[in-house]
Amino acid sequence: MQQENRKLNFDVLVVGGGIAGGESALNLANLGYKVLLVEKELSIGGKMILLSKVFPTLDCAACITTPKVSEIARHPNITIFTGAEAKNITKKGEHQFEAVVLKKPRYVVVEDCTGCQLCEEACPVSVTDEYQYGLAGRKAAFIPFSIASPRAAAIDIENCILCGACERACPTNCIDFTQTEEEVLVKIKSVVVATGFNLFDPLKIPRYNYGKAKNIITSMQMERQLAPTRPYNTILRPGDGKMPDNIAYVLCTGSRDKSIGNPICSQICCMYSIKQAQLLMGALPMADVTIYYLHIRAFGKGFNEFYAQAQDMGVEFVKGKVGKITEKENGNLMLRYEDIEAGVVKEAEHDMVVLSVGVLPNMEISESFKTEKLALDPFNFVNQSDVLASPAKTSIEGVFVAGTASGPMDIPDSILSGGAASAETTSYLRRASL
Amino acid sequence: MEIEKGKTAKWLKEQRPVPKEVTGKLKEFTKIKKGILNALKEGDKTIPELAKILDMPQDEVVFQLMSLLKYGFVETGEMDDMDEYFYYKIKNNGKN
Ligand SMILES: Cc1cc2nc3c(=O)[nH]c(=O)nc-3n(C[C@H](O)[C@H](O)[C@H](O)COP(=O)(O)OP(=O)(O)OC[C@H]3O[C@@H](n4cnc5c(N)ncnc54)[C@H](O)[C@@H]3O)c2cc1C
Ligand code: SF4
Repeated sequence: MQQENRKLNFDVLVVGGGIAGGESALNLANLGYKVLLVEKELSIGGKMILLSKVFPTLDCAACITTPKVSEIARHPNITIFTGAEAKNITKKGEHQFEAVVLKKPRYVVVEDCTGCQLCEEACPVSVTDEYQYGLAGRKAAFIPFSIASPRAAAIDIENCILCGACERACPTNCIDFTQTEEEVLVKIKSVVVATGFNLFDPLKIPRYNYGKAKNIITSMQMERQLAPTRPYNTILRPGDGKMPDNIAYVLCTGSRDKSIGNPICSQICCMYSIKQAQLLMGALPMADVTIYYLHIRAFGKGFNEFYAQAQDMGVEFVKGKVGKITEKENGNLMLRYEDIEAGVVKEAEHDMVVLSVGVLPNMEISESFKTEKLALDPFNFVNQSDVLASPAKTSIEGVFVAGTASGPMDIPDSILSGGAASAETTSYLRRASL
Repeated sequence: MEIEKGKTAKWLKEQRPVPKEVTGKLKEFTKIKKGILNALKEGDKTIPELAKILDMPQDEVVFQLMSLLKYGFVETGEMDDMDEYFYYKIKNNGKN
């Protein structure tokens, strides 16, 4: 490992480059603070940049995210490290923090890469594309996705055969296999934690048969299928490429379920499923869409109207608890469910099932804090120590939380929360100069 | 020693070998790709048809074919008479 031990100074370290971290970084930078934004993926933008359209306005997600992301990327007061993680965050005193940032090699000099994709074309390797949530392949030399920021290639070194084809194809000589891991020591005055959420893994509910029955997908996979940068030519069943015409949604997959260790509501699944149902009715006009739900949580501004709109479009809502999903020989799926209103167990056949997976905490970051403990709440999200009066405040003075790192929420609330975190960070920083 | 720009892959290969699983996976992909492209050279096919000819599970054909679509070897054709499956066809005679 290359131990350059570069030392850098910033006002604020923002950990996580999703919409919440991005919003915080942008606000702080606009106020003149120097911000280091550390993102562990190859692109900033978090989950939002991979979505299709957003509820309740049905605006295209990329159209909202792209300008924001490029504003962040171009801002003179923001330095971005992608493929990087903040490892040791220590508090030395008030307004004095240090962090060790681990930068993984990308094997591409980002500043020199024009995003021409010639390396991608030349690379002979094909492996599973994590940014398409496993639905299709990508090369070992690859641009993560077309609207990625930075829109630069990266080498997946674990799957690379070191044939050098990419290097020979690259017109700017920006591929560099001599890069190594780098540790950078940064000094900052405060920290914003915006590390987002994890998606529930439906393999944990074996009776749903996800993974075995190939025409059962997660809502994130459906989000990719509906996005302009989709993996297939249109919406298809991953099991056999058939165009589905009778799609079921199973809400609360991995939420409000003590048996899998997550008793709370994920807040977004009802609404994104209603959104996807509307988009599917548009993309596949002949298709039937049925949503199996326990309760519809449509609490936000315009949400109930959005729900009514789906009903008017013909989306069927069944108040039912799905017990089991089995696969038929033709790839269709039998759903066994308790019809809650009638109080009987019923069965229904669908040709594709979408599991509306829930929001889980991403706890990792709490381990990075070495001197003082970053407290978590009973559900393992970052604890908001003064949730009513000061929602971004955490157990550590000078460390603030933004977005879904503190609990499930949608995009508008994540942006609000990012705004709150930047405001509270500012007043903390101002106190230093009083 | 200065490592020559544009030849750094060769340099890294000299430092450490490429694991067998990685080259193995590439061989498998190359074989499947050839199989799919050869079958499509004979005429446009649906995914179930390709699966039968290649004796492969249909879900794997979807994955590989969609990758080839992205890489520019294949393009989408018409829908079948039942409006269920698309036909896929070879693009540029299989050269991207
Ligand atoms: C299927 C689906 C559909 C959705 N549709 C909608 C919709 O239509 N409308 C809507 O309002 N909301 C929707 N949402 C919710 C939306 O995705 C979230 O509200 C939003 O993404 C939260 O943003 P965030 O920045 O808090 O978290 P994230 O998007 O999770 O971003 C967190 C970022 O932090 C990075 N990170 C994590 N840990 C570290 C670390 N240790 N170091 C450095 N970086 C790290 C991650 O890589 C990521 O980039 C949907 C969610 C899903 C799952
Ligand atoms: S060196 Fe690696 S990344 Fe580059 S083309 Fe060859 S296999 Fe692909």
